[in-house]
Amino acid sequence: MRLRTILGKIILWIFLLAVAFITVIPVVITILGSFKTNAELTAGATFLPESWHFSNYAEAWSQANFSRYTLNSLIVSLATVAGTLLVSSMAAYVVDRMDFAGKKLYIGLQSFTMFVAVGAVVLRPQFDLMVKLHLHNSLWGVILILISAHASIFFILFSFMKGIPRELDEAALIDGCSPGRTFWRIILPLLGPGLGVGALFTFRGAWNEYLLPLVFTMTKPELQTLTVGLANLKYGISAASQTHYMMAGACLSILPILVAYLFANKSFMQMTAGSLKG
Amino acid sequence: MNKTKHALFSYSFIFPSALLTLVLGIYPIAWAFRYMFYDYKGFGTARFTGLANFSRILKDTQFWDSVVNTFVYAGGKLLITIPLALLLAAILNRGLRGRQLLRGIFFMPTVISTAVMAVVFFTIFNSYNGILNQFLIRSGLSDSGVDWLGPKYAMLTVILVAAWGAVGNYMLLFLAGLQNIPEDVYEASSLDGAGKIQQFRYVTLPMLGPVMQMVIMLAIITALKGYESIMVLTEGGPVGKTEVMFLYLYKLFFPVGGGSAAVQVQEFGYGSAVAFVSAVIVGMISLIYFYASRRMNQTD
Repeated sequence: MRLRTILGKIILWIFLLAVAFITVIPVVITILGSFKTNAELTAGATFLPESWHFSNYAEAWSQANFSRYTLNSLIVSLATVAGTLLVSSMAAYVVDRMDFAGKKLYIGLQSFTMFVAVGAVVLRPQFDLMVKLHLHNSLWGVILILISAHASIFFILFSFMKGIPRELDEAALIDGCSPGRTFWRIILPLLGPGLGVGALFTFRGAWNEYLLPLVFTMTKPELQTLTVGLANLKYGISAASQTHYMMAGACLSILPILVAYLFANKSFMQMTAGSLKG
Repeated sequence: MNKTKHALFSYSFIFPSALLTLVLGIYPIAWAFRYMFYDYKGFGTARFTGLANFSRILKDTQFWDSVVNTFVYAGGKLLITIPLALLLAAILNRGLRGRQLLRGIFFMPTVISTAVMAVVFFTIFNSYNGILNQFLIRSGLSDSGVDWLGPKYAMLTVILVAAWGAVGNYMLLFLAGLQNIPEDVYEASSLDGAGKIQQFRYVTLPMLGPVMQMVIMLAIITALKGYESIMVLTEGGPVGKTEVMFLYLYKLFFPVGGGSAAVQVQEFGYGSAVAFVSAVIVGMISLIYFYASRRMNQTD
């Protein structure tokens, strides 16, 4: 019996470590690969770089234009986070605290957009709409569309809102505070943790988004985000000779989100049911 | 505050959210719904053609090939993802040293961009100077490497990459479900002399039933709709071997001419009809699964 449990434990750990290895190895290859020369990478003979070429980053940053892509990614992500949080926290506030005709309809609308995602097909009308609004020549089109997909964040904030005692608003109201002021001065600060989680998910989504910026930058390379610029390297004429740039670029796009993940591991793990990736 | 002011305030606060949702969420769906009855190529005037687009779909072998590929892709992905995620969740649910760290590691792929990882996997699996093949050849495990993205193995590679990105997510959903199973059920069963494997079979699995049903449903829908990583990794090629339904659909709206692909002109009207049929197929599969799993519950 004793021997069997020990044997079982060994098998269990071999299994766990094997899965962990497979999970981590592509990311490790990327990080280590970003310091190798192109020849070393495609030879595939070494695990650790023969010598560490930090210059890959400098070159990818300037030659492969990753400085531009990073800036675009940052603009898109930060603007999307700010817009999403503002729009959905305002909606969550009145839906939770006020009574008005059409409230049920609004909630139904949000659940509908959350569950009926038709993907590729809505991209086209969205794009045409932005052309009509003359927003297709900037990143604003992408940002607005990303903000418009705020249903899941709305529901997250809505549930956080329920946890803030109503007595606080009533007290503020008696003190002569208008509902608008109550929202800015009392509710928003107390909504901190909910906003944090919402920011995390929105940032992850916007930072990783590929199709939207791809569609909007097909004719405007200077607006490409990291994901798009990186994938385009693959199609480049000399794709094979740019593997080290690809690795450095991949690191630039993975590392910020990985660092955020390490710090906010718990929130990512707890609230993941709200995001439908997979 | 009087009623009108109250209502006005509410509407002003909900306005940005409602407007964005209506204009960028609902209108595009209505747009597609309308154009599926039209012959519209994105320029010129749209011509009403009734059900012509739908009879064209019936004869569109490329589309039906992509439907078959979608089933192979989704089936393969589920076959790897669900059992593995369940197993990992079951192991990491109970007192095991280092389980927090392992959970963190397994969940990590979910936070990384699908498109970016597809680029990285491309450099790893690339048949000619890919990292994996070079490693296989150098270490003597293979003479000439494996044509990972060739006609024979491309679908397998695509499935493996998709599974890599998805296991952690489903593991976490299973973990959430497992945490709702009360500890004393396990204690009672171990008093009755049940081993770990018996506990898993007779306690964990049945009690996880409803969560499992939900997670598998979610996994089916996501797998049927997924195309981003395939788009970057193979563009649907080689010779259409990895072309899935939603990727084919994307190409009708944004022709790129990559992969096998075949779509050279924009086909907004036809694309909308294909989108509708695709959505119906996804819906039907979900319904079939829903009823099948309900019947299984009843016979238990």
